[in-house]
Amino acid sequence: MTTPMGPATAATGTLLGKAGGQNDHLAGSHTRRGKPKIDRIYYLFLLPSLILFTLAITVPALVGIFYSFTNFIGFGDWQLVGITNYIAVFSDPLILSSYLFTFGFAVVTVFVVNAIAFLLAVALTSRIRMKAALRAVFVIPMVISAIVIAYVFKYLFANSLPALGAATGIGWMQESILANENLAWVAIVIVTAWQSIPGALLIYIAGLLSIPGEVYEAADIDGASAWTRLRSITLPLVAGYVIINIILGFKGYLNAYDVIVGLTQGGPGTATRSIAMTIFTGFTGGDYAYQMANATLFFIITVLISIIQLRITRGKAALS
Amino acid sequence: MIRRTALRDRIGMAVAMMAATALSLTGCANAGSGPTEITFHMSKPEAIGFFRDLVKEFNAEQSDVRVTLDTASNLSAGFLRGDPPDVGLLNYNMEMSRFMERGALSDLSDMPEADRIRPDVQELADQYATYPGRTSVLPYSVAAASVIYNVQMFEDNGLEVPETWDELIDVCNTLQDAGITPIYSTFSEPWTIAQGLFDYTVGGSVDLVDFFEQMNELGTEVGPDSPVSFSKDFKDPVEQMMELAAYSNESAPSRTYGDGNVAFANGEAAMLMQGPWALGEIAKTNEDLKLGTFPLPATNDPDDLKVRVNLDLALWVPEIGDAQEASREFVSFLMQPEIMDEYNATFLGFGTTTDAAPATDERLLGMQEYYENGDFYLGASQRIHLSIPAANYIQAIATGADIDGTLSRLDADWARLALRE
Repeated sequence: MTTPMGPATAATGTLLGKAGGQNDHLAGSHTRRGKPKIDRIYYLFLLPSLILFTLAITVPALVGIFYSFTNFIGFGDWQLVGITNYIAVFSDPLILSSYLFTFGFAVVTVFVVNAIAFLLAVALTSRIRMKAALRAVFVIPMVISAIVIAYVFKYLFANSLPALGAATGIGWMQESILANENLAWVAIVIVTAWQSIPGALLIYIAGLLSIPGEVYEAADIDGASAWTRLRSITLPLVAGYVIINIILGFKGYLNAYDVIVGLTQGGPGTATRSIAMTIFTGFTGGDYAYQMANATLFFIITVLISIIQLRITRGKAALS
Repeated sequence: MIRRTALRDRIGMAVAMMAATALSLTGCANAGSGPTEITFHMSKPEAIGFFRDLVKEFNAEQSDVRVTLDTASNLSAGFLRGDPPDVGLLNYNMEMSRFMERGALSDLSDMPEADRIRPDVQELADQYATYPGRTSVLPYSVAAASVIYNVQMFEDNGLEVPETWDELIDVCNTLQDAGITPIYSTFSEPWTIAQGLFDYTVGGSVDLVDFFEQMNELGTEVGPDSPVSFSKDFKDPVEQMMELAAYSNESAPSRTYGDGNVAFANGEAAMLMQGPWALGEIAKTNEDLKLGTFPLPATNDPDDLKVRVNLDLALWVPEIGDAQEASREFVSFLMQPEIMDEYNATFLGFGTTTDAAPATDERLLGMQEYYENGDFYLGASQRIHLSIPAANYIQAIATGADIDGTLSRLDADWARLALRE
């Protein structure tokens, strides 16, 4: 408050701030840890997003959590009903099966996407022809809207594949896998993977390019095979990128919605209903408070997962 | 609250002043005060053009009320903000009835138009929910649905319209023996089987009004031992549904609503379980195809024949609207017999009033007699709360799930929902 930097203008804030920090440090005044004092202008930069985040995310979330303890249907009178909604959520086979489906789907998809994206990235950073053109081709799925992709694939699964199966006489192909209660999820994994591999691929390419060439040269001199190089050099050095991809991917797949709506609408039956789809019925079906309880539980679960993932990431960082 | 009262006062004063002006200065009463502005919500996509023209006509023929057509805004959000449209004309269903049940819609029973509504049609609105002492919803158009059939195919095979269950099975067998797919089904979209085969077989054999009345009373007690339940009362019709489903095209599990219309228009099957909305779509592919309709016989008694109906459009005026008088004036305008008849003739609907003209489109003639006599029912799938994925359960049965297990799941969901309401 009393530093000479107090009335600094926005234009010179950064510079003066730095200088002020040094002065404080030299003088050994109130900043005991020796950290430079942060100029308030940075808080100003944060303010707009903080306000927007509070208004658009935090407040509605708190309102939603409050309503999960009522019997509100989205309109009209309501009463506090305690934890009735939460008890009902835990005994609802529909909600439990949607959690089972969504987590299973997310785990499988994370694995498929990262395995394929990593191998593709290795191939696309090695010495091959037409590298730039191939990279561009592989990124195309990322720019197409998920719902469009889903509808195109729906046609392929429902018409083209069975037609191909009929033409070649392959029995299992003649029935659409979208209509098979036990296999529809495979189609959803395939389409989601097709769409999200490019994103993971770009991160892996960036990771692979950041590995200095010298380590490979040294490995060559030591006579390491391609497999040993991949396992002992490439993988450990891109471990951070693998973790980023897994966390981002897992978080995204837990919110699966558009691809499923386009492909199966949660069917056949309720075999492929995701958590997000179930929550959304709260709005379309006038079951607002109940699904808010579901959403609150989902929020708590995702927070727990994020904390665990953060712990693991920190552990990795400390190791390297 | 405060704002609303203030507004009401202001409008009250404005009305009083207008009346005073009108009394003293007949002839130039409107000088200075503009027309009352009201919004009219109508979002049925194919009918928007029709009502846009009507709004224009209404605005041109008088200068007291000015109507703005709203085809897009979110109704729930509107009610939530306390700013719903002044007049609504849309599909009346379980979802809409929840607003009515909580007193959001005003009483229109004193309007002369309300007396013109057929009592058995008004009853349909009450089946969803009622609000004590109010007639809040005026049915405007009814969509009747039954079996759509290819007239040429029936004639070529010497088939008559079946009036009993056994005759229907005979028809299916004859067609199948002639190498024709009897029924085109589209199980990939859950609603098509729920509103089609399921509603037809259930509605044709179960007294749904009585059934749902008891189910609502039982609430949390619905289960394997309750006097009525889905697993008890729907088991037979659902088995019938499966018997008919077996006469479907083999590709049914992966076909969509759109696929079904195109295939049917191209003569790939003899019967389609869809409503009048599909007729226009079929005509887009094959305009010359001669089609007819008949109620699906689910019993062996021709007296049990009924058609499935829903309130395709219904009029209502919210309780909190600021311009009740102007809104009612517009409701009266829309309720004129000629306008209602024109709408129903254009959009293949059935009239809701005692003075309505009968349907003349030959594709609907097979249902006219039943509709006229009040032999109709609201589809069972429409009476189940939207948060229970009934259509998905029915789809699961159609693609092979266990009937008893799925119906008891429906019972359990019903009881669970009753618990938290």
